[in-house]
Amino acid sequence: MIGPLVKNGMISGTVNMIFAVLIGILFGWALHRSGFSNSKKIASAFYLKDVDVPVVMFTAIVTGALGLWGMALIGLIDLSKFYFLPTYLAPQMVGGFIFGVGMVVGGFCPGTSLVASFVGKIDGMVFLAGFLIGSLLFGDLFPVWKDFYNADFRGVFRIDQWLNINLGLSVFLVVLIAVLGSLGLRKLQFRFWGQNDK
Amino acid sequence: MSKKLWNPIFGGVMIGIAMILTFYTAGRGFGASGAFTRLAAWIQDFIFPSFTENSQYFGKYFLNGHHPLNNYLVFMAIGLMIGAFAASKIAGDFKFEVLRGPQVGNKARLIFALFGGIIVGFAARLARGCTSGQALVGGAELSIGSWVFMIFIFVGGFAAAYFVRREWL
Repeated sequence: MIGPLVKNGMISGTVNMIFAVLIGILFGWALHRSGFSNSKKIASAFYLKDVDVPVVMFTAIVTGALGLWGMALIGLIDLSKFYFLPTYLAPQMVGGFIFGVGMVVGGFCPGTSLVASFVGKIDGMVFLAGFLIGSLLFGDLFPVWKDFYNADFRGVFRIDQWLNINLGLSVFLVVLIAVLGSLGLRKLQFRFWGQNDK
Repeated sequence: MSKKLWNPIFGGVMIGIAMILTFYTAGRGFGASGAFTRLAAWIQDFIFPSFTENSQYFGKYFLNGHHPLNNYLVFMAIGLMIGAFAASKIAGDFKFEVLRGPQVGNKARLIFALFGGIIVGFAARLARGCTSGQALVGGAELSIGSWVFMIFIFVGGFAAAYFVRREWL
């Protein structure tokens, strides 16, 4: 069966939603068992005291990239029906910076705070309440930052297009960055905090 | 912890597999923050219906009589809750507690958690996604905007880490 299944009419919208719940279960399970319901562990990444967070992120990206582009290569998914995230460079840069500040202050990102809330972490529940307030702040005062939000639009802008290289080489580059990034961060962790201090 | 955590490579591969399944079935990426923003809009709609439904930002959630919570990411968030709860019950580590460094009390930690949540809630909307929906999915899609977002999460986090070190270390 050629994906995307719902867009090719292979499964109904309802079945797609059931898949969403099932995939969510796997995602939530993996986040908790990787230790990401623990705000201390997440914040530790920003002190290089425990770099599991970026290592898991790199690994997930590599897995996802090999899956997506591998499926496209063997014709298992029709990318013309795939929704790619667009790039709005400046708002994503500024948004990322503010997001990082909030992550080290709050100890969570959105997904991990939800997971934490459902394994009993009260700081996760409070963070989630804050997230709702922050969302409303953004949406209710939207006219104030609307222009910046829509600024610097680049369309679907990928590494292969940016560097003018083929997709295979781009995926290889991402794998290389992920492997070297993970090893380098782990090395820094051991150097600053020792081998056993986690 | 009564059970050892997963190896981070194994955890990353599992999250990556969840991502691939979303790509293959839905033709899009997964995410978390969208569900919360829809929840926030839905709650506000009870108190200020016309203000929320006519909002330039939230209005799209209510278009043509749509229910803001009838959305792919909301169903996924339900799965996240079930998965996390089940995993902790099976691992035997479900516990009501506040996690923090040894130098702050629970009250201070919860105030930080609230403010961090507000900041992240705002930033996720500005960046059109969060760590999962923007950084991981866009990272796999090779999106420049998503890679820039992810790099700047760490720039912002490292920049602010010094000022909140008493909360964690």
